[in-house]
Amino acid sequence: MTEIVMECRNLWKIYKDVVAVRDVSLQVREGEIKLIFGPSGSGKSTLLRCLAMLTSPSKGDVFLKGECLTKPGVDLNKARARIGFVFQHIYLFHHLTALGNVELALRHVLKMPKEEARKRAMEALAEVKMEKWANHYPAQLSGGQQQRVGIARALARNPDIILLDEPTSALDPELTGEVIDTLRDLAKKGTTMLIVSHEMPFAREVADEMIFFDAGTIVETGTPEHFFTNPTSERAKKFMMRLIKRTRRE
Amino acid sequence: MEFLLKYLADILQGFIVTVEMTLFGVFAGLALGTLLAIGNLYGGKIVSAIISIYTEFFRGSPIIVQLFLFYYTVPSLLNTWVDGFTVGLIVFALNSAAYQKGYIKGAMAVISEDQMMAALSVGLSRVKAIFYVILPQALRIVIPAWSNEFCSLTKSTSALLVIAVKDLTSVGNMIASRSWRYVETFLFIAIIYLLWVTAVAKIADKVYERVKIPGIELSV
Repeated sequence: MTEIVMECRNLWKIYKDVVAVRDVSLQVREGEIKLIFGPSGSGKSTLLRCLAMLTSPSKGDVFLKGECLTKPGVDLNKARARIGFVFQHIYLFHHLTALGNVELALRHVLKMPKEEARKRAMEALAEVKMEKWANHYPAQLSGGQQQRVGIARALARNPDIILLDEPTSALDPELTGEVIDTLRDLAKKGTTMLIVSHEMPFAREVADEMIFFDAGTIVETGTPEHFFTNPTSERAKKFMMRLIKRTRRE
Repeated sequence: MEFLLKYLADILQGFIVTVEMTLFGVFAGLALGTLLAIGNLYGGKIVSAIISIYTEFFRGSPIIVQLFLFYYTVPSLLNTWVDGFTVGLIVFALNSAAYQKGYIKGAMAVISEDQMMAALSVGLSRVKAIFYVILPQALRIVIPAWSNEFCSLTKSTSALLVIAVKDLTSVGNMIASRSWRYVETFLFIAIIYLLWVTAVAKIADKVYERVKIPGIELSV
């Protein structure tokens, strides 16, 4: 078995009077692609942000390649530098070009020399087929192009894992295709990914495991085939029916 | 208005004092105001409270009162003679910082929400995120408000009259009382202020156009 890249054990996130994440444990191994899906507001984004330590979990532990990130005294900036994160609403740096967005962390986190950072950033942009747009500002790009830059920004540092939070759900339907193509390329290269998504044909094609998430917790896990043919829980059944219907309409 | 000709050197002197005072106040205020904004947003409760008291004091009291207060306390605090001009520099910098803190903080708060999270996600520390991501955007957004601050501070410097600094207004007052030609003198002085303020506003517009980045001007 390959090495476990990211793991959480008994993770909880509690806001004042809302439990957003309830006792979640999961593992992602090297080269694996896991896909989390479930109703909106069920805490998927919060879970992902806890795993990336962008919000601190209330209880439980997060491990990155065996190193516990939830104990005190951990250099979280260093840990985050090893985790790629792609946001639903993209959040590119508005004042920097596509190249600048990808380059920033290479220069100021990994401390690469200027030339090397530029070269690596261009490679990352080429991986998402955005090298021609390197000198455009985010506002001059379409949503799909922006998200591809967002993916390049996440992968430029060669992170141990990339977490993607609904990377296509804020895009117009005709723009999701290009982003899905990019993700498919990454999958072929063996990139370790944990993706929140409802793109079912894509899930079926690339996911090693699917995780059905509802009310802050994992309800059911299984292969795509399991979910497409015979999910066990009532909730997963209903949700799959709705998703499949919606996908057919599109 | 030929009588003004013989005072031309004085008027120029006064104008230079006004310009020096304003430029120093605005730029020192920008630097200090930026630090105050950062402290206010990220400094925790105590720092933030101290900064709020500071800004309320400078925004809540008349500039003349502030000038008097500093004119009569700073020398005894430092135990040395401090001239009105220096007191003026200090007061206008502190005063402008209080106002500019407000503009910069507002812009930073809007940008911070999602941009800070994105910056942290690539591994930047909070300090680096402020420096490389938040401030470059906030300062661009703030330029139009900053141009207003410049205009308003220029006019505030006329209060220097009360601590006997020979700024433009003060020189005008001197000329008028000597020549008994109040209307012409102050009209002329007003025109100088107007031209200066207009010129600076134009420059600020040009700078804004130059550093503007597509997408950013729309975000506030």
